[in-house]
Order: sequence, then structure tokens, then C-alpha cells
Amino acid sequence: MTAVIELAKLTKTYGKSRGIIDVDLQVNQGEVFGFLGPNGAGKTTTIRTMLDLIRPTRGTAMVFGIESSADPVSIHKRIGYVPGEFALYDRLTGGQTLEYFANLRGGVDKAYQASLIERFDLDTKKRFKQYSKGNKQKVGVIIALQHKPELLILDEPTSGLDPLVQQTFFMTLRETVQAGSTVFLSSHILSEVEKSCDRVAIIRDGRIVKLDTVDGLRDLAHHQVELRFAGAVPADAFINLPGVSELVAADHVMRMRVAGPITPVVRAAAQFELLDFVSREPSLEETFLAQYGNAAAAEAGTVSDGR
Amino acid sequence: MAASTQTLAKPFSRIYGFGSIYGKTIRDSRFSFLIAVGIFAGLAMVMGTAIGSVFKTPADRVAVDKLVSAMPAAMVNLFGNATLMGAKLGTLGGYMTWKYGAMFFLGTAAWSILALTGTLAGEAAKGSLDFVGSTPYGKRRIALEKLGAHLTLLWITQVLLALAITASSNTFGNAALGDQIPLAGAFAFAILVGCFAMFFGGLAFALAPLLGKGGAAGVSAIVMMLLWAASGLSIGGPLVTLSPFHWTAEMIPLVGLYAWPGVILTGVLGVVLLVVGVELFVRRDMGVTMGLSLPGLPQDLLGVRGPISRAIGDQLPRAIAWGLGIALWSALLASLVGSFTTQLTGEQNLTQIFSQIFKGYDFSNAGGWMQLYAELFYIFVGLAAATFVSKWASDETDGRLEAVISGTVTRARWVVAGGIAALVSVVIMTVLFALGIVLGAASGGSGAGDAVLGSASLGLFAAAMVGVGFAVGCLWRTSLAAEVTAVVVIATYLIGMFGPALNWPNWVTQLALTNHVGKPMIGQWDMTGVVASLVIAVGGIALGAWGASRRDIER
Ligand SMILES: Nc1ncnc2c1ncn2[C@@H]1O[C@H](COP(=O)(O)OP(=O)(O)OP(=O)(O)O)[C@@H](O)[C@H]1O
Ligand SMILES: [Mg+2]
Repeated sequence: MTAVIELAKLTKTYGKSRGIIDVDLQVNQGEVFGFLGPNGAGKTTTIRTMLDLIRPTRGTAMVFGIESSADPVSIHKRIGYVPGEFALYDRLTGGQTLEYFANLRGGVDKAYQASLIERFDLDTKKRFKQYSKGNKQKVGVIIALQHKPELLILDEPTSGLDPLVQQTFFMTLRETVQAGSTVFLSSHILSEVEKSCDRVAIIRDGRIVKLDTVDGLRDLAHHQVELRFAGAVPADAFINLPGVSELVAADHVMRMRVAGPITPVVRAAAQFELLDFVSREPSLEETFLAQYGNAAAAEAGTVSDGR
Repeated sequence: MAASTQTLAKPFSRIYGFGSIYGKTIRDSRFSFLIAVGIFAGLAMVMGTAIGSVFKTPADRVAVDKLVSAMPAAMVNLFGNATLMGAKLGTLGGYMTWKYGAMFFLGTAAWSILALTGTLAGEAAKGSLDFVGSTPYGKRRIALEKLGAHLTLLWITQVLLALAITASSNTFGNAALGDQIPLAGAFAFAILVGCFAMFFGGLAFALAPLLGKGGAAGVSAIVMMLLWAASGLSIGGPLVTLSPFHWTAEMIPLVGLYAWPGVILTGVLGVVLLVVGVELFVRRDMGVTMGLSLPGLPQDLLGVRGPISRAIGDQLPRAIAWGLGIALWSALLASLVGSFTTQLTGEQNLTQIFSQIFKGYDFSNAGGWMQLYAELFYIFVGLAAATFVSKWASDETDGRLEAVISGTVTRARWVVAGGIAALVSVVIMTVLFALGIVLGAASGGSGAGDAVLGSASLGLFAAAMVGVGFAVGCLWRTSLAAEVTAVVVIATYLIGMFGPALNWPNWVTQLALTNHVGKPMIGQWDMTGVVASLVIAVGGIALGAWGASRRDIER
């Protein structure tokens, strides 16, 4: 597998305030890589560093094996980029805007451009200022797609798009991947990453906290077990079982978190008079929120991100 | 893939259009280019026709010569070195240099400052530069194309200016009096103007990656005014040696005086600054600037308590910057009055010339001098007012307004709060101006005379311009409010300048507010102007408050 993107100890600070810290990750050719994180986590910072729009404080960002600050032009030739927050030229129409960026690239396939315009149902005659929010976003998306880049770098590309257009968008994305492109997609919506990505990195407070396949993330899920006993709660019998944590006992009820197989807990429970046994598997969404939640808990005790 | 299905930029669109960054920048600048050509080449044309009525006979010209030579060099030379010109001051080229040379220098440089801060830093701040930055062009290439586009337009404007000067002076000038300006002289003048523009535009361009658009434009404009005043007022010291106006003081091509080394130095340094700007843009993070923060401004001043204090907080940095700029100017001028008065006493016929030409002026205190330069002060505070309008208008043009008025603040309240804040800014600026006079005069050993009270007239004019801007912004659209205000200010100035000279119909000259203000710096107030200003100021804002609730909020 060839790495299309390789970030090594990538760090960016804005003066004293944190941007990202020691970000390490690899994106392989042909995969759709999800980059998840809450607001202000450092997604945009990471992406802008990869494109040499900003320069790393430490560490390196390699794209196509080229260090981003060494030869950004060679990288830019092969990518398409949707910035997370952008504006375009208020007084130009969507059509003029697409034409301009096609000209800056040179050699954009007109038929493909037209097919994208039709797919996304964009009225190219309107001035950018007059577009609705989602239509503005469509212009940005088409700019990134129209030259069939090898690597798509998308910073929250679906923001503002309605569900139908989002569907169109992900369908188009799948096609480009089938045609051999690689996608780096930042988002804070788990479900869209879950649907469309092969691997995911979760960034929090500027650091990568998890990097796994989407399936791997699911394995990460655990069971929330609740037992109700007829007699006193036999906490000692459970506390040392493999995979058990966060054990809480109150009255006749005992709650715990069980990672991995649930068998040891079931075996132990069988030795007691049980009134009820509830086991629940949290959704990926909850797992993800737990990751976010930890951040919130951790942050409460420490200094915030300096904004 | 067949070539026919690929987009291919048409060759012409690379020069003008969507074919290249250069072409698009040229296209984006087309209006400002037309305006610049209109103002500068137009001014040159009009001046040729005006000279005949300003100096009707050779005797008139001799009188002006005498007058000018009687004034202290420091005061005369603010507008081109009259001492060096000698008798040639009475020619078209001499008069044009002396009286309006600064308009060309400062005006063209201001255009470059605005263009060169707006192009990269402006786009970065807006957010479209991220797209351009991810296309297969290096940052250096992007910067050079954008820069190249402005320089192209700047120098085309200079060529047109040179042609206009030659055409106008040869058509309308009096050959016997030496009015005709050869092509070489006109081109030399245009080159001088272009070099100033490259120098100060270059300064702004170099600062823009560090300070962002507004900060870079503001700092360069202030530096420009300082260096101009320092050189013109012949203040010694380190500041004047840094001034391109000082280096080129002996270059007066419109009267055939050439001194190239200073021009070349200015031009070369301009290029150096431009290169620095390109390199800084290449090396620094895109869109990450330090900005110009005002350290330690208390919360109350920054204003988050309500719409009025918020609006004042928004305006304060501008109000203070403009105020300090104009105060410096008034202080410098006023400080020279003392020495001049000493020089004048005892010279009976000089005193006589002065009292003949400037009836009722008292040149023994600052007032007389302030009145002499009043027309420039009016244009200065008028343009300041336009920027106050622009700051207020940015609430809507930047998209903040929806959030503001979706709360409990009504549209009318937003307009009135903005209006009050703009008027407070005008007051701050005016008070600083008056303070400048008092301090300057005292330091030079003379009195301030009626000028302190007279400053209020500037405030009234600026307030009226605020009223114009608010009315336009609310009744029409905020995106044009500041521009229209600036146009009104400049039109007022031009009417005041050319109306009488060109015998424009009375009703036209009456349109200029400045023709109704009297001579307040020497104590002659015209109440028509006072009342008119107040009515326009208050009426404009009131009309705005009414109009704003009757139209759509722009997105
Ligand atoms: N120009 C800047 N100056 C100072 N700090 C900045 C700057 N840009 C970003 N930051 C800080 O860097 C951190 C990461 O920001 P970034 O924009 O990368 O977050 P993000 O993950 O893209 O968030 P979002 O989901 O809101 O887009 C934030 O704490 C932010 O405040
Ligand atoms: Mg972001």
C-alpha cells in the first residue's frame, strides 16, 4: 500500500494558542479516510498544513511523498480541496467561478464539469452572493471535483447541503474512489463518516486520540450491564473480572461497563439469585460521544484551548 | 481524451477575464482603474482649462509669485517646492504642481495602498484565497500575478496622465507665458507619481501579510501623511530624511526641473518593498495575521453593553487614528505661525500684500493659516466620515446585522446607535484637531485665534457627510454607502475648486456644502452652513432609521 498522506509529529501552534500537537497519521491510496473531531479540535489546521496554506511549527506533512512546504505546487496539481469555511467572488456567477478555477488548472473535461453541474442541480447563472448557503457549498464542491483529482481533501464538505444533495455527494465520492482517487474527509458527524469511510482518526484538543477502521471503532463498543439481585449486592465477585470497569452498586442494583466478551459476567451472575439482567450495546454514536465526553470532562479540570 | 472537450482559457482571458489570476485581477480592478483615470487624467485636463481664469493676465501671475515668495518656505512647500520654482510658479505646470501636486501624489498612492492591501490580504480575510492557494500555482506566482495586475493598471494610468497633461497644457495654455508642458516633462511627472505610488503601495503590500488588510492600509496611509507633512513643512530631523517627498523635492518636471536620483531611489525602494511583500506572503501562514490590536482597551470602551457602546467600540480605533493624523497636521502648521509672524512684522509691503489678497485674515495667529488650508481639512475629515460610514455599513455587508436585529434591537435602533457612534467619532476627531492647534500654536509662540472654535466647522461638515452615508446606506444599500459618501466629499471639493474658476452655473456651486460655511477659522461663520450641516446629519440618520425598516436586509 502506498501512503498518499503521511503526517509525522505534525504540530502547529498559533502564537501561544494550540492548533494541533504531534499528529501522526497515514492515508493510503484508494481509501476514504475520515477525520473526526469536535469544533476547534484541529481538523482545519491539519488540512491547511497539508496544503502548505500554513506552515507546521514542528513535524512534517507529506502528500504524495512530497513534503508539503517543499513543493506545494506539485501537490496542488493532483488534489481537489473544499475549504471548511470559504467565500468566493460575490459578483461572479457560479458559472464564471467554475470557469475561472478550471482555467487555473487547465484541461478540465467540459463534459464532466457539465455532468457535475447537472447532478448537483446548480444554477450557474446566479451570482455567488445570491446563492443560498447550500448552493454556495455546491460551487465549492464542484471546484474541487471538476478536474478529477487524485486526492480529494474535503473539510466538512457536506455542511449546508440538504440530505438529498448529501446523497448525491457521497455517490459521486464513491465513483471517484472507484476510479482510483483517495479521499480525506473531515467531519464532526459520525454517521456520515461511518457510511462513507474505510478508516477514521478522531482528533481531540489537537491530538489524535483514536485511529482505526470503522469496524474497529465498532469493536471498541462495550456493554453496559445492569444486574438486579434479590439479596445484597455481591460486588466483590465482579470487581476483578476481566473487562469490567466503572462498577457501581446501590441497593440491590449493580451497574458496570464490560469491554470484550460478556461471558465471565454471565457466569459469575449465575451463582446468585437474580431478578433482572440487562445488557445494552451502545451505538457507535454513543461510543463517539463518550470520546467527546471524556474531552469535556478532561477539559473541565484543565485550561481550555486558549481561545 | 479529445482536446475539444477540455476547457481551454482563451488567450485574451489571460490578460482580461477568467483565464488567469492576472486576468481576473485586472478584471476585478476595472472600475477602480476607470475612476483613477477619470480623477487624475481628468484633473489634468480640467486644470488646463482652469488656468486661464485663475490667472487671467501676466500681472496676476506676478502677484501670485510675490505672494508665494512672501510666505515662509515651510508653509508654501507643503504643496510642491515653490521656492525652487521661482517665477515658473506662474506657469500652468508650476501652479499645478504647487497647488495640486499633492493630490496626484497622495491620491495615486492611496489607490495603490487600497489595491495592494485588498488583493491578497483582502481575499485571505474573506476566505476565497484558500481556493486559489490550492490551485497548482505557488504562492509566489499568485502574489506576482496579482501585483503585476495592479502595476499594469498603475502605469497605464500614468501614461494616460502624461498624455492628458501634455494635451491640456498645449491646447489651453498660454504659450507666451510658458504654460505648455512638453511630453517629456509630463512623463517625468507621471513617473514621479508612479514611483510614490509604488513606494507607499509597496509599504502597504509588505505590511499586509503581517497586519492584515485594514492594519496595513491604515499604517501606510498614516506613514505617508507623516512623511509628506514632515518634508513639506521642512521639519528637520530623522523623519524628513526618510521621506521620499524630501528625496524628490527638487524634481519638479512640470516646470522643467529634473532631479532623477531621488526618483530612482523612491522607485527602487518601492520595488524592494513590493518584493518584501511577495516574500513575506510566500513565507507566512495564509490568512494568519497579528492584526492591529489595541492593547488593554477596557471592556467599557470596547463596548459590549448595548448597541451604542458596541458601535462606539467598533469606531474608536478609526476615530482615534484619523484624529491623531489630522491633529498632527494642525499642530505642525500651527507651530510655524509664531516664527512667521516675527518675520512679517516690520516688512510693511508684505503685510500689505497679505491684507490685500486675504481680506480679514489675521496671520498673527493660527486661525489665518488654518483657514488658508481649510479646503484640504474639509476633504480630509469628509473622507474620515466616509470610513466611519463604512465601518457601520460593514455590520450589514459582513453579515453581522442579521444576528444583531434578530434580538431585541430594532432596525431603527441599530441605525440610530450607529449614527450616534459615527457622530461621536467625528467629535473625537474634531477635538483632537483643535487640541493640535492649541498645542502647536503654543509651542510656536503664537495664539490659536478663532481656529479652535472654527474646528467645529470641520466637525459639522463631517457630521453632514455621516448623514449622507447613513441615508444612502439605509434607503439604498449599505454596500455603497461609504463609496457614495466619498464621492460626495470629492465632488464637493471639486466644485469648490473649479466651480468659480470655470464659471459653472451658480446652482452647481451652491451645491457644495463648503461654499456655505464661511471662514470659521478666522471667526466668520455662515449660519446657513451650520444649519444645513446639522439638518443633513440628523436628517440623514433619521431618514435612515425610517428607511432601514422598509427594505430587505442584504445577505
Ligand atoms: N488563525 C488562528 N489563530 C489562532 N488560533 C487559531 C487560528 N486558527 C485556528 N486556531 C485555533 O486552533 C484550534 C483548531 O482550530 P481548527 O480550525 O483547526 O478546528 P476544527 O477542528 O477545524 O474546528 P471546526 O469543527 O469548528 O471547524 C482552535 O483552538 C482554534 O482556536
Ligand atoms: Mg474546521
